[in-house]
Amino acid sequence: MPDSTFDRELETLLEYTESPQPEAFTMDVMRSVNREQRIRKLILWTFGLVGALFGLAGAVILSDSITRLFTFTVAMPATETMQVVLFIVATAAFYVWFMNDDLPLDN
Amino acid sequence: MISDMELVALVTSSDDQAAFQLLVERHQAAIRGFLRRLAAGDYGTADDLAQETFLMAYRKMHTFKSTGSFVSWLHTIAYRQFLQFTRKHARQQVMAEPPEQGHDPGQSIDAEILTQRLMAFVSPEERACLTLAYAAGMSHPEIGKVTDLPLGTVKSHIQRGKHKLQRWLKDHDHSISKDKTRTGAAPAKEAHRA
Repeated sequence: MPDSTFDRELETLLEYTESPQPEAFTMDVMRSVNREQRIRKLILWTFGLVGALFGLAGAVILSDSITRLFTFTVAMPATETMQVVLFIVATAAFYVWFMNDDLPLDN
Repeated sequence: MISDMELVALVTSSDDQAAFQLLVERHQAAIRGFLRRLAAGDYGTADDLAQETFLMAYRKMHTFKSTGSFVSWLHTIAYRQFLQFTRKHARQQVMAEPPEQGHDPGQSIDAEILTQRLMAFVSPEERACLTLAYAAGMSHPEIGKVTDLPLGTVKSHIQRGKHKLQRWLKDHDHSISKDKTRTGAAPAKEAHRA
């Protein structure tokens, strides 16, 4: 059997048959993607929350000692001043970290 | 029609699910077909692997380089998923039985069943190279990229696989019908084998 004929026959033999239920397959994939996204968000929020709690604890623990550096310029009480500063920094850090997940990725 | 590259850009930039769904709809037949050939008839496993392939593509979309073709990239992921699966299940019999030597010559055999049997007859690498060459219509260098094999190895896998299939078909006197619905077996030659 000449090769070219057999090549054509192989093309015929190996060509893909119609895959059943393409819509159902696509829906299954999209469901998996949604589940994946939910899990990703859950992980993100859990770690974010843990991070925020650590930040809060840190703010409470360190506020007294650190605010001594600032009290001469700010009229607010030391603890409150440091809590405000730490809260702003933590919020900014959280925002950057959270939003970074959606930043365009280089192709 | 919006191109694959534009859809990929939408998925990576804004996590556009509609764009990803369009990519799945567009390429599911090719990926499922490829994995069905690789799995030699184990359709359940093939579809599971195809689903894993698209999920992996979604996860790794940001690593896709726009210099290559998206469908080749998907085939690469699918092939790796298949290899991973076969390694995990090495001790299990996941492939279909090889073609029977004592096939009843008097009956025609469904072309799809014949294809599954033939696919089980060749090695997984030969199966992948043959499928990518003849069903997906890829060039040898493209197959090399998908399978991560050197060009010479791809060519020898295709040649060896072809010879095996050709020999088996000749020995069993099967002809591949044009409409691919049935393939006939010649009773005269096969009669003494039964």
